[in-house]
Amino acid sequence: MIELRGNTPALSRTRRAALTVVTALSLAGVAACSGSGGSAAVPPGPAGDSGGKSADAFASAPVAAASEIPAGSTMDKIKKRGELIVGGSLDAPLLSQQNPVTGQVEGFDADLGKLLAKYIIGEPKVKIVNSASETREALLSNGTVDVVFQTYTITPERAQQVAFAGPYYTSGLAVAVKKGTTGITKPEDLDGKTVIAGANTPAIPAIKKVAPNAKIVTFGSDPECVQALKQDRGVAYVQDQSLLVADGKTDPELQVVGEPFTTDPYGIGLKHGDDQMKKFVNDWLKKIQDAGLWQQAWKNSIGTVVQGEAPAPPAIGSVPGS
Amino acid sequence: MDALSGNLPALWDGLIVTLQLTLLAFAGASVAGILVATARVSPVPVLRAAGTVYVETLQNIPLLVLLILAVFGLPEIGVQAGLFTTAVVVIALYQAAYIAEALRSGINSVPAGQGEAARALGLGFTGSLRHVVLPQSLGTVVQPLGNIFIMLTMNTSLAAAVGVVELTAAANRVNLIEAQPIPIFVGAGVAYMLLSSLVGFVTGVLERRLAVHR
Repeated sequence: MIELRGNTPALSRTRRAALTVVTALSLAGVAACSGSGGSAAVPPGPAGDSGGKSADAFASAPVAAASEIPAGSTMDKIKKRGELIVGGSLDAPLLSQQNPVTGQVEGFDADLGKLLAKYIIGEPKVKIVNSASETREALLSNGTVDVVFQTYTITPERAQQVAFAGPYYTSGLAVAVKKGTTGITKPEDLDGKTVIAGANTPAIPAIKKVAPNAKIVTFGSDPECVQALKQDRGVAYVQDQSLLVADGKTDPELQVVGEPFTTDPYGIGLKHGDDQMKKFVNDWLKKIQDAGLWQQAWKNSIGTVVQGEAPAPPAIGSVPGS
Repeated sequence: MDALSGNLPALWDGLIVTLQLTLLAFAGASVAGILVATARVSPVPVLRAAGTVYVETLQNIPLLVLLILAVFGLPEIGVQAGLFTTAVVVIALYQAAYIAEALRSGINSVPAGQGEAARALGLGFTGSLRHVVLPQSLGTVVQPLGNIFIMLTMNTSLAAAVGVVELTAAANRVNLIEAQPIPIFVGAGVAYMLLSSLVGFVTGVLERRLAVHR
């Protein structure tokens, strides 16, 4: 290092003071950045002990007969591997969320994945690959994952890239606001306002449709969106209704406004063109619905925050693209 | 390819935000970086220590962590700015640590005799830095600064995680509808590549111009 010291008289008092102030300011910036932040909300997990109940469900779950798994088929490959590789989330409350205590992935999508694994392999052995909406199609087509259970809304555009079994669940988007907000009673009221949505969720195109002039701000996860709403980064938060209801349970500042304004049929993503596997998965879906296992999985997850009995499952193959 | 060409306006808007983020953050990072580098070579021990602490802290915390802390944490203690502003300030402060280190290495590359000669001529700390040491060191730091600029350009994509709709976020949104990740993200990647090769070209020209022949 070059020696610039030893000439202190030339460094005038004011200059020294100015430099000190500047450095102190930048340090204050660091301190402010590294402090706080403890409020990052803990995602609301599904209440109750679903672990025990779902374990029973897996014990009585159906297993495919050997005749239903022809040699060389996708199912056969999965069975030989002894593990079903599922593309899914680890941070979606009620649907597919990793429990930080047990390490288990819990929720509706996660349970269905385990039921499918049990059906093919005889054991609920699942490996979840954390996929994202920008990678799902690629992961399926190159065979990294066998199936995708990830609030994968069936659309005709997507059906050109992947095959969809199902729909296995129908959900809808709803609007939540900070308690005490006035002037927002229906989705159209969002026009011209700043609206928060989860990044890569169907909420983004849905908001554009009902409120074309709304400014959409997106965050990666649900807790971040809730935090942003509480910090007035937007006037409303659009998300899947069941998720919003769950958030409202743990956070009294949140208020869900009105009824869902969309109908999103969720499908099970499969490799494009694999009709054999698609039929196999559809048959399985029918079986677990008839056996009441689908309803059981719903009750253990979404049913912990939504009142009433499990809804009637949507008819398989009932939407364009499925 | 239709997925890409049909959504060019949305991607273009994203690219503009990326450019704004890059230029504003680099301007801020340059100012803060010069101040920190000055502190690190200054004759005042407290300032040198403060500069070292700044650089070590900022370089050792991932930018994404800093962004999330600033966006979600600071409002809890009553400090709240817009998402874009927060992103610019955080990226600028983060990259300032790298710029400071690049500048310091440049200053150290100037032979000690130069500083001694400047002092012998009666120049003070600021004077010798401004008239003798910095002009000579700039030539050697053009390329490192260019690399930091490219790194900063790429780092602006992290702002997508805190709600800024720049190029990456825009590509994500387009893909959500089109379900064609390969053409869309390759398109976005090409845009980033063009930006960085432009920066590489400019730094190459600057380096030849500012070269110090000794």
